[in-house]
Amino acid sequence: MTAAPVTAGLRAVGREARRLRITPRFRGRELTLLVIVAIALIVGDLSLGATRLLKEAQLAGDQPPPDLAVLAAPAILVIYLIGLFAVHGALVLAGRRTDQILLPTVGLLGGIGLLLMIRLPQDLAGRLGGLAQTQLLWLVIGLTIVVLLAIAVRNDVWLRRYKYTWAAVGVGLLLLTFVFGRDINGARLSLTIGPFSGQPSELLKVILVVFLAGYLSENRPLLQEESTRLGPFRLPPLPYLAPMVAMWAIALGIVIVQRDLGAALLFFAVFLLLLYVSTARFSFVVLGLAAFVVGAGLLYFVFDHVRTRIDIWVDPFADPTGAGFQVVQALHAFARGGLIGTGLGAGLPSIAGRPPIPALHTDFPFAALGEELGLVGILAVLGLYLVLVERGLRIASAAQDEFRAILAAGLSLVIGVQAFIIAAGNLKLIPLTGITLPFVSYGGSSLLANSVIVGMLIALSERTREPLPPPRRPGRIRRLLDRGAA
Amino acid sequence: MDAAVIAIWVLRLIFLALLYAFLWMVVRALVRDLRAAAREPTLELGRLVVTASPSGEPAAGVSFALDAITSLGRDVNNSIVLDDDFASAAHAALTYRGRAWYVEDLGSTNGTFVNGSQVDGLSPLAFGDEIQIGQVRLRLERARG
Repeated sequence: MTAAPVTAGLRAVGREARRLRITPRFRGRELTLLVIVAIALIVGDLSLGATRLLKEAQLAGDQPPPDLAVLAAPAILVIYLIGLFAVHGALVLAGRRTDQILLPTVGLLGGIGLLLMIRLPQDLAGRLGGLAQTQLLWLVIGLTIVVLLAIAVRNDVWLRRYKYTWAAVGVGLLLLTFVFGRDINGARLSLTIGPFSGQPSELLKVILVVFLAGYLSENRPLLQEESTRLGPFRLPPLPYLAPMVAMWAIALGIVIVQRDLGAALLFFAVFLLLLYVSTARFSFVVLGLAAFVVGAGLLYFVFDHVRTRIDIWVDPFADPTGAGFQVVQALHAFARGGLIGTGLGAGLPSIAGRPPIPALHTDFPFAALGEELGLVGILAVLGLYLVLVERGLRIASAAQDEFRAILAAGLSLVIGVQAFIIAAGNLKLIPLTGITLPFVSYGGSSLLANSVIVGMLIALSERTREPLPPPRRPGRIRRLLDRGAA
Repeated sequence: MDAAVIAIWVLRLIFLALLYAFLWMVVRALVRDLRAAAREPTLELGRLVVTASPSGEPAAGVSFALDAITSLGRDVNNSIVLDDDFASAAHAALTYRGRAWYVEDLGSTNGTFVNGSQVDGLSPLAFGDEIQIGQVRLRLERARG
């Protein structure tokens, strides 16, 4: 009875799809990988649920219940998995020949993060509800962003043509945060506008890459010229070093005003990497590192908060219950984890109901994973980030023009560098800076920004040859060179 | 008690094993992808795509793989022959030097244009730039990798 309108509706959708020349395209590799992700997450959740039941029984002094096979938070996990497969379904229906590895990899990272949030005390963050519920909400919104960008972005003119507008938006966001930001734990990161609050620096990293891709792809021939000499280095014409100096100043400004060492380090590292990717000139990297050392040295002697961080890094055991507390606890967590970890849910003996590390869900998820999954587990997690970076660079190498190439490389390097900075900070390899572990850490801004990155990478990976945007008018370089020739 | 502990042990190990199963499958796919890309002829340094050609020779939409030196003109001895009334016999040359492409006008009658402005001697080219020779328009693109 209801079949007739349904088939009519389906036919209408089919007609519309044919009109837009959309044909569903089977994505076998993605489906296989997603099935493995789903099985892994279900097994992880089972182990978490069983461990939890066993611990409760031990605490009560009872025999463990005979049936330990329960999921820790079945509703949350099932909703997440349905979300992942829905994204897959949407990508199949959209029928673009895009990357099939990014989505499962990100899905696994997000799922591991979700298991961690299910396992932690639920009142750690909760303004909206439990920790895991809030994280699930953000993950679902993030997946929606991924699928929207992956399907809808077919043209990049809106990105490349307005690069200075994007840069202005980015600097504007930064200034807004400088002036109106709220201080949390000594860092001025979050901005509240009406009912919404977020961390603009997360969005800023995407905008930065878009601007740099536009700037570098346009000025590459010029940056490769060697007209200025500085000791053993040959440099491009001095005016074109201005953005480099500006980037350095912005990074310093972030450290001084926002007290956000992590974001500053991330921005500057991505900037140097992109400069190297686009020009293949090692002297830029040397010069950038020199500028970094000078800036870091200055900051160390002038600002207390920088000095504290470095001193903690050099010797956290100088004050193990005060300043060095988090770092010492993280090191102990890694030590407890050993080779294969204590198992999900079995780590972190809580002190009076709190996990020993205060910012565990945002800044130290890597330490928590190190304890519960062990060295084997965190190596796998690091491997997942490497896969993301490899895919990004591969998409860059297959890109049709330089803007897309630099954009893809930059977007994936943002994720890679960010994961490195926070993982190395947790491990006391470099001073600890408070940034998030992409896709694993709790936090809306971070998840949304990283979802934007993944969505754009998937869109950029399309294989069919799209018409390039019309050639730009002869730019500044051309006019300059013409003048030089005349 | 023991059975429960062993069951949890097994679950933990299966979880870790599944993480590596996923990584193994992904890495295998990546290696396959890279091998396939390496098998494709990647000796070309760039491509030249014909975007407009009123005479039909070469036809619009055709793309040429480029060597380090490519000559363009009406003469049949050119690497790319442009059968256009406004093209000279030896019209222009594309050269790949260092890491960049250059276009050079070879003293043609009607000139060579890049993105609408006339080339005077040697001029650098970026990927995505459009060259006009006579009535033929060609766009420089990256090699397919």
